[in-house]
Amino acid sequence: MTTPLVAMENVTVRFKGAQTVHAVNGVSLTLEPGKVLGILGESGSGKSVTLKTLLRLLPERRTEIGGKVMVDGKDVLALGAQELSDYRGAVTSMIFQDPALALDPVYTVGEQIAEAISRHEKISRREAMKRALELLELVRIPSPERRLKAYPHEMSGGMRQRAMIALALAARPKLLLADEPTTALDATVQIQILLLLRQLQRDLGMGVIFVTHDIGVAVEVSDRLAVMYAGQIVETGTVRELISNPRHPYTKGLLAANLHGAKKGERLEAIPGAPPALNEPPSSCSFAPRCRQAEDACRTGLPPAIRLGEGRLVRCTKVETPLAPA
Amino acid sequence: MSLSLHAEDGLDRGGAGTPLLEARALTKHFPLGRGAVVRAVDGVDFSVMKGETLGVVGESGCGKSTTARVVMQLIPQDKGEMLFDGEAVGSSALSLKDYRRQAQMVFQDSYASLNPRLTIEDSIAFGPMVHGVPKSGAILRARDLLARVGLDPARFAARYPHELSGGQRQRVNIARALALGPRLVILDEAVSALDKSVEAQVLNLLMDLREEFGLTYIFISHDLNVVRFISDRVMVMYLGEVVEIGPVEELYDDPRHPYTRALLSAMPSMDPDNRTMEAPLAGDPPNPINPPEGCRFHPRCPQAQTVCSKVKPALPPVGGGERLAACHMEIPGSGHSRAPALEDAA
Amino acid sequence: MSAVTSPTTIPAIPQPARSPGYWSGVFRRFRKDKVAVGAGIIVLLIILMAVFADYIAPADPTRSSMLRRLRPIGTPGYPLGADELGRDMLSRLIHGARLSLFMGVVPVFIAFGFGSLIGVAAGFFGGKFNTITMRTVDIFYAFPSVLLAIALSGALGAGIFNSLLSLTIVFIPPIARIAESVTTQVRSMDYVEAARASGAGSGTIIRVHVLGNVLGPIFVYATSLISVSMILASGLSFLGLGTKPPTPEWGLMLNTLRTAIYVQPWVAALPGVAIFITSISFNLLSDGLRSAMDVKG
Repeated sequence: MTTPLVAMENVTVRFKGAQTVHAVNGVSLTLEPGKVLGILGESGSGKSVTLKTLLRLLPERRTEIGGKVMVDGKDVLALGAQELSDYRGAVTSMIFQDPALALDPVYTVGEQIAEAISRHEKISRREAMKRALELLELVRIPSPERRLKAYPHEMSGGMRQRAMIALALAARPKLLLADEPTTALDATVQIQILLLLRQLQRDLGMGVIFVTHDIGVAVEVSDRLAVMYAGQIVETGTVRELISNPRHPYTKGLLAANLHGAKKGERLEAIPGAPPALNEPPSSCSFAPRCRQAEDACRTGLPPAIRLGEGRLVRCTKVETPLAPA
Repeated sequence: MSLSLHAEDGLDRGGAGTPLLEARALTKHFPLGRGAVVRAVDGVDFSVMKGETLGVVGESGCGKSTTARVVMQLIPQDKGEMLFDGEAVGSSALSLKDYRRQAQMVFQDSYASLNPRLTIEDSIAFGPMVHGVPKSGAILRARDLLARVGLDPARFAARYPHELSGGQRQRVNIARALALGPRLVILDEAVSALDKSVEAQVLNLLMDLREEFGLTYIFISHDLNVVRFISDRVMVMYLGEVVEIGPVEELYDDPRHPYTRALLSAMPSMDPDNRTMEAPLAGDPPNPINPPEGCRFHPRCPQAQTVCSKVKPALPPVGGGERLAACHMEIPGSGHSRAPALEDAA
Repeated sequence: MSAVTSPTTIPAIPQPARSPGYWSGVFRRFRKDKVAVGAGIIVLLIILMAVFADYIAPADPTRSSMLRRLRPIGTPGYPLGADELGRDMLSRLIHGARLSLFMGVVPVFIAFGFGSLIGVAAGFFGGKFNTITMRTVDIFYAFPSVLLAIALSGALGAGIFNSLLSLTIVFIPPIARIAESVTTQVRSMDYVEAARASGAGSGTIIRVHVLGNVLGPIFVYATSLISVSMILASGLSFLGLGTKPPTPEWGLMLNTLRTAIYVQPWVAALPGVAIFITSISFNLLSDGLRSAMDVKG
């Protein structure tokens, strides 16, 4: 078995402030090199916070992070300032929903990519610009020479997204984090970006963690899926397993809500209620108040993580007969 | 109850089976200065039958939201007219104020569509009060509607918008839209900002209300799954024009316009063994400033031929029935090599 | 909560529990802000001091004494010293608060009224009306406020009323601009569109939906101008364009004491300190109000 590219162990994230928010409550996950993990969840599920933990992007003074985060053999939470800036971009980089967060409006796209390259490598400016051009070709921006000298606002939405991907790939990262990168895009553009990411991932052999609220998007790009709810992973498995045989009631509800096999004119099997406020760490199943199958055991203690197979976990009391430990 | 069953309260004129709303050649251009014009809506024809739900899909810049705002008369059209139950909107037979009592709208942003300084019941009661219902009666109706959209009035009526979740706020917006007892409700991306699990609840609510109050919906969304689920007929828009319109299952199963086909095949497959392998279209949707000549889709269309860049296709019926598709490949004798042959003049 | 709505008849609905209103929320958030509360208390004390000056002041602020000119702070009978004419500084500072506060608050309040009217109308109706109104306002806004106040005061002639008038004119443009921009924002909100879709006319929409949402922010901005107004009024007095001696007013006091800056620097600085404390308190108060009024908490 290869050493995993990412290993998160029992990670907790708390935001301090007027009200403490327990955003992530004991997340453990692993990612093998060259694989794609989709993290599926709704707003407030902690999916983006989990992702940002991997790059230490959370505001340090207001955040308490517990547990262990290993990426490519490095203890991310223990990195010093210099190590952290070496790590960011070169080992792990990130793409966002809004390219405006990643692209600086006052520099041309070429300058920004070249700058990102020379931050990690000692090369001449001319060489860096040449590499930037290659990157724009790699993400298949039409007429890349011209785009090299373009400012972000001169590009269309889909093209900006491609430029941001090129920027993220500048220092040849081993791990690419994607935070809803296609959510703001039109349908016909979204599929182009998804296909591009899939191909880049395959060609460059990167590990990718792809956070989204859209099951369809997650299925399109991921090898494995993790479903998050209230700061916990409630179910993991391969895409095929989760789509064809969801075990956690929340996963089932999400699939139904996505109109997966919904019959026209019939009422949807909607999950009632709304996600909990996370002012306290969970002491029982967070989904129990919305769960139709909940029983007393669900409301009194944390549900066990039941192993159904290699990398297939469900955090639900009602799931029976775990496989004997392999 | 006066809120429902318009057939009995004398509001219904044409009777069942007639269009509730007919839009004829609706056009709205926004001048940008220096001669540039955004052709947001350019000669759009459609009708919505009584009791049906018309889904409107298309990407950014296709004009679906502008169409909604024109239909709601929040902005006046430049050209074209609208008939509501047979009467021209804004005419002596149907004044704008009377029309607005019968047509209402729910917006995408649940927070921005509620006045933060008003309690929820005051927000809902505002419309009836504008139309002369005394305050006490309007408040009673507001609480009644809150109960009907699934919010306990005892708990919610006196709250402020920021104290509610997104799903709850959108229920309030729906209640507010219903407060005037409308017959037509325009839902402009009304569930798009909600989380999936909450969206399903609101969709259920919309279906219940449609039945309970005999409503007609214009349902605008970028989510093709949701539109398929809730609509009876679907209208596909591209760059300010209608490219295809027809019954939902027919249109989804057998799209006739190449753009509809592209849009549908851009949907994620939901099947890990059968992933999408090729993007149906390259590039972004163009913006509606100086749209292309001829068929507006021709620069991106894989089947475009000379005629497509020269002649603007009409919106003829295709395949019998109520299908319409604005494509030269569907117009007999259009000059496109795939067009059906001209039938002999009888 | 269930997604299912029951179409059955609704039983008599009990009076809903009043949720704490918007303003009580503002008050609750404001109370937590220690700095703002402190500034508010200081402002309140200064106002009380001005109102009850006759009872608080130990001496007549205009009674001079050639023998006791420029006494230092702590002189028996003159706790804060005496000015260049031997008048009790403490009493003069207490009485001076009246005019200084008056000149700080009144122009801003009048300008708040006119500026809001102009700005809300321009913002709500937009179009050509907006362009004409706001460009006219911009002409005034283009002058530095100090310069404009001096020019207007100079043209109108010295005196309290004229400086009041010129300060009011100075403050209308900035308030109108804020009012216009806040109104333009509110006008494009969906709830205004929804109100229009309900068939409401412009008057109703402005009354119910616009004013409630714009007056708060405009008011907060206006309170931040009080300190500016006080300083400008003091400046006008300092230049001899405002209050006439021997009326105590902080700006004027600063002016007449400036010759004593080498003899009794601490006494000469006192009116400046008073202006400073008052204006910074108003500013902190308005900052606190602004963050307390920010709904989303």
